[in-house]
Amino acid sequence: MDLLTGISATSGALNSQRTRLDIIAQNIANARTTRSPDGGPYQRRVVNFESELIRSNSSAFGAKDPGLATVRVAGVTIDPTPGPTFNDPGHPDADAQGMVTLPNVNLAFEMVDLITASRAYEANLNVAKNSRQMAMRTLEIGK
Amino acid sequence: MIAPVANSINYQLASKLLDASVMRHEAIATNIANAETPGFRRIDVASDFTRALRSQFAGNRPPSPSDIAALNPHLAEDTHVRSVRPDGNSVEIETELMAMSRNRVDHEFLTEIVSRHIKQLKMTITGRVT
Repeated sequence: MDLLTGISATSGALNSQRTRLDIIAQNIANARTTRSPDGGPYQRRVVNFESELIRSNSSAFGAKDPGLATVRVAGVTIDPTPGPTFNDPGHPDADAQGMVTLPNVNLAFEMVDLITASRAYEANLNVAKNSRQMAMRTLEIGK
Repeated sequence: MIAPVANSINYQLASKLLDASVMRHEAIATNIANAETPGFRRIDVASDFTRALRSQFAGNRPPSPSDIAALNPHLAEDTHVRSVRPDGNSVEIETELMAMSRNRVDHEFLTEIVSRHIKQLKMTITGRVT
């Protein structure tokens, strides 16, 4: 029995969006990090999502029924594009020519992504609230 | 003696539509959850449910309880909506949120109908309004 309908799809989405917010925070925090554990400047991380089937009704209604799908983080990949360089021979991470490579983090992109992620989080939170109210109404039948 | 209440067309129809409303909520939750999954196609209660329901009321004769019992809401991919996004995803978050609030009102209305029927029966048994 599933009293809170659709809550499994929503919780997966909330988790995924939260992970995305964490990764964006990490990118922004490391926007000027020129030294990372794997050597070289920090490389921007990107979260990719994939949908995951929760329940399929295809046995009862034929292959046409798509079933319910939640979302999960498929993986966090590293954006390989090279970062901008600038000349600063006094910098401890400067190369032989005195060039320093900065992370490939673009603050404007990250901010836009941050807003999209938090809006998506809010939308899912709204669904969760609605599920609860619907469940409460159902429980009040006959009262 | 209780059977007339449980067999009343309104009661049966309301419970069937309540099933569909809960199912639609699940579909909307799935759509909003996958609003950013590349290639995801939005799902909804299959349109042949609405079509079947409409055809039940098309004739002069009201539908019989067995007609209503034969209605079976199920989920299906929404093939009418076009994807305007480069990632092939056909979910529009505003449309989904609107559909969700509309569905909630529908759900409230239907629970009210079901509730009234049960209350009426209770009143008949006890002879008291509350």
